[in-house]
Amino acid sequence: MSVNRERMDRIFHPRCVVVIGDKKQTNYMWLRSVLTLKGHVYSVQINKDEWPGIEALGVKNYSSILDIPEPVDYVIVAVPRTVAHRVLEDCIRKQVGAVMFFTSGFAETGTEEGIRLQNVLGEMARKADLYMVGPNCMGIYNPEIGLRHHPEQYCGEGGEVGFISQSGTHATQFSLVGYVNGIKVSKSVSYGNGIILDSTDYLEYLGGDEDTRAIGMYIEGVKDGRRFFRTLKEVARAKPVVIWKGGQTEDGARAASSHTGSLTTSVAIWDALIKQCGAIRVDSFDELLDVVKALLYIKHPHGERVGLMAMTGGQSVVISDAFAKAGLKVPKLSEISYKELASFFNIAGGSYMNPLDVSSNFSSPELVLRMLNILGGDENVDTVAMEISSYFLSQRLRVGAKFTVDELVSALTSFRGSSQKPFFTILTAGPKEADALSIREKLVQQSIPTFPTFQRGANALKKLLDYTLSHAE
Amino acid sequence: MSVSGVVTDALKEGRTMLTEVEAKELLKESGISIVETRLARTKKEALFISKEMGFPVVLKVVSPDIIHKSDVGGVKLGLKSGVAVSRAYDEIVSSVRQNKPDAKVLGVSVQRMARQGIEVIIGVTKDIQFGPVIMFGLGGILVEVLKDVSFRIIPITGADASQMVRELKAFPLLQGYRGQEPANIPLLEDALLKVSAFIEKHPEVKELDLNPVFAYKNGVLAVDARVVLEEGVSR
Repeated sequence: MSVNRERMDRIFHPRCVVVIGDKKQTNYMWLRSVLTLKGHVYSVQINKDEWPGIEALGVKNYSSILDIPEPVDYVIVAVPRTVAHRVLEDCIRKQVGAVMFFTSGFAETGTEEGIRLQNVLGEMARKADLYMVGPNCMGIYNPEIGLRHHPEQYCGEGGEVGFISQSGTHATQFSLVGYVNGIKVSKSVSYGNGIILDSTDYLEYLGGDEDTRAIGMYIEGVKDGRRFFRTLKEVARAKPVVIWKGGQTEDGARAASSHTGSLTTSVAIWDALIKQCGAIRVDSFDELLDVVKALLYIKHPHGERVGLMAMTGGQSVVISDAFAKAGLKVPKLSEISYKELASFFNIAGGSYMNPLDVSSNFSSPELVLRMLNILGGDENVDTVAMEISSYFLSQRLRVGAKFTVDELVSALTSFRGSSQKPFFTILTAGPKEADALSIREKLVQQSIPTFPTFQRGANALKKLLDYTLSHAE
Repeated sequence: MSVSGVVTDALKEGRTMLTEVEAKELLKESGISIVETRLARTKKEALFISKEMGFPVVLKVVSPDIIHKSDVGGVKLGLKSGVAVSRAYDEIVSSVRQNKPDAKVLGVSVQRMARQGIEVIIGVTKDIQFGPVIMFGLGGILVEVLKDVSFRIIPITGADASQMVRELKAFPLLQGYRGQEPANIPLLEDALLKVSAFIEKHPEVKELDLNPVFAYKNGVLAVDARVVLEEGVSR
C-alpha cells in the first residue's frame, strides 16, 4: 500500500480546521493552537458553559460538525474516549479530510476496554476509508500555514526539517528546542498509536515533500516492518533520515546462547535496519538535535581530520580527547601553517600544535579570523572546530581584549562564508550560562552551528562524516 | 530426494525441523558449498559410504526427535578406518537408545571430516516486525559470550554483505591474525548473498543455521546445517 499524496496534502495543508471538545479546563489549548491558521477555524462543543469562552476567542461554535457550512479538511478531537466513536461517525458523514484524536485511553492502556474502543475506531475509519491521525497524539504541525499542536509553537515561517514522532512531547520539544537552536520544522506529526496512518505513511509523504530537506523520527515500533524497510531505504537515498528509537531495552539474558534466534534482539535489528537503509541512528533527544543541526549547518566534510582551536590549555587537551574518542583525527598542521603561526603567535601560556591553545592570542577578531584561516587553509585539516568559552571570553573582554561579542561573531561569520571547509563552534559555559545563551542566540542568527560540549560537537561531526562518506559511494 | 520433496515430506509428517541430511539436501539449491552428507540406515551402509567418501569421516545420529545430537552421544568425529566406523556406529545406536529411548532413529549421517578452518556462523531468523533477518558471526565463544555478530534484513546487497563481515570486532581474525590462515572475504560475502537469495525463494524457511561454516584461504564450507520450517507458508 502506498499513501495517497493528495489526501495527505489535504491533512498537512488544511484550509478548514475544526476542534471538537476543547474546554476551559485546558485553557482552550487546541483552539489557541490553531487560531494562527491561514484558513477557517470552527469549534464543536455541546456544553453550553464552554460557549462564552470559545466565542471570546473569536471562534464560531456549532453543536455538531454536520452544521458547519463548508467542507472540513482536518478535525482535532479532544473528547472522552467513550464518545470518540460518535464523533467519528459524524466526521465520516461530513466527509472530512482527516480526523486527529488527541483522545487517549485506547490500546496503550493495555486494558481490554481500551483495545476494544481502539478497534471500534479503527474499523469505522477503515470501512469509511477515512485517514486518521492517532489516537493518543498531538497531530500535525505546519508552521508555514499556522497549524500548530501547541500554543507556544512558532508559525509564519516554514523550516526545512520534517519530524515524525510517536510521542507528542518529543514532537513539541523538537519544535521548541529546535527553534532556539536554529532548527525549524517544515512539517511534523505526532501520531501516537498510529492505527490508520502509521510512521511509514508519514515517512513516504515527507520523503516526497519538497519543503523537507531532512527528516527526524522518534519511533517506538512499526506496524508493517517490510514496508517501513523498503520506504526508509528509498527515502534515505533522497534525503537524510535521523532515527531515534525509543524502547531500547535489551534482553541480555537471551544473547548468551549460540542459537541464532536468541541472539536476535530488536535493538540489534533496528540498528542493522537503520544502517542498511542509509539512515542515521541517534539515541537521545540531544543527539537528534545535534545531528540534525550538523546536517543543516555544517558543510559536508571530506575526511576525519579536524583543526581545533581551544581557548585555554586544559581545554585544548580534552577537546583533542573528545574528537579522537569520537573516531576523528587531530593531526599535526602543515609546515606552512606552523611557519605562519610562529610569525605572530604568542606562545607564553599558549601553544599551536593542533589544537591551537590560543590564550592571550584571543585578543582581537582579526587575530581570531587569521588563526581560523590558517586552520581552514591547512592541507592536513578537513574540518575546523572552535571552542568559545563564555567564561574565558568574559575575562578577555574585561582585560586585554578590546572587542565585543558581536565583532567576534561577525569574524566567525566571515570565516564561515569564505572557508571551503566545514566549520562549527563549541560553546562552553562554565559559570557564565546566561552569557553562553546570549552568544548562542547571536551564533544561531548567523547560521553558525554551535554545540554545548566537546563530546556532542565531536559526535555530531562523526555522524555527519559517516553519513557523507556512505552516501558518496 | 527432490528439493521440494524434502519440505513437503517433512510437513506431511508433521515435522517442522528438518534432519541434517534433509537440510543439506535443501540447501544444495543455494549454491553454498556444503560438506556432502549421506544417510546410512545400517552399519553396512555406513561402512560402504565411508569408504566411498574416504577417511576420516564423521558419524552423526539422524532422528527427527533429536535436536542436540552430541548431548545424547550421537556424534563421533575423526573416524579413520572401517573398524572405527563400525565401533562408532554401535556406540551411537546404543548411547541414543539409552539417553533418548523414545527417539525415532532413521540411521546415521556420514560425512567426510572437514579440514578445520576459521569457524563462522551464518543464521537466519524471522523477526516479527521486519521478516527474515540474516546474521553473521565468528563461531564459538565470540558469538556466545561476546555477542560479536552482525545483522541485516533480507534481501541484502553486496555492500550490506561487505559491511556485515567488516563490522565484526573480530574481523582482524578473518584477515589472518598472527600468521594464521586467513579467510577468503569475498567468498564469505558471497555465501551471505547466497543465503539471502535462498531465503527469498523459500519463505517457508523459518530458521536456518549454518554452524559451523569453515572459512579457508580458498573457500567456504558449511559443515553443519539446521533448518526449521514454518507451517502454512506457501511457496
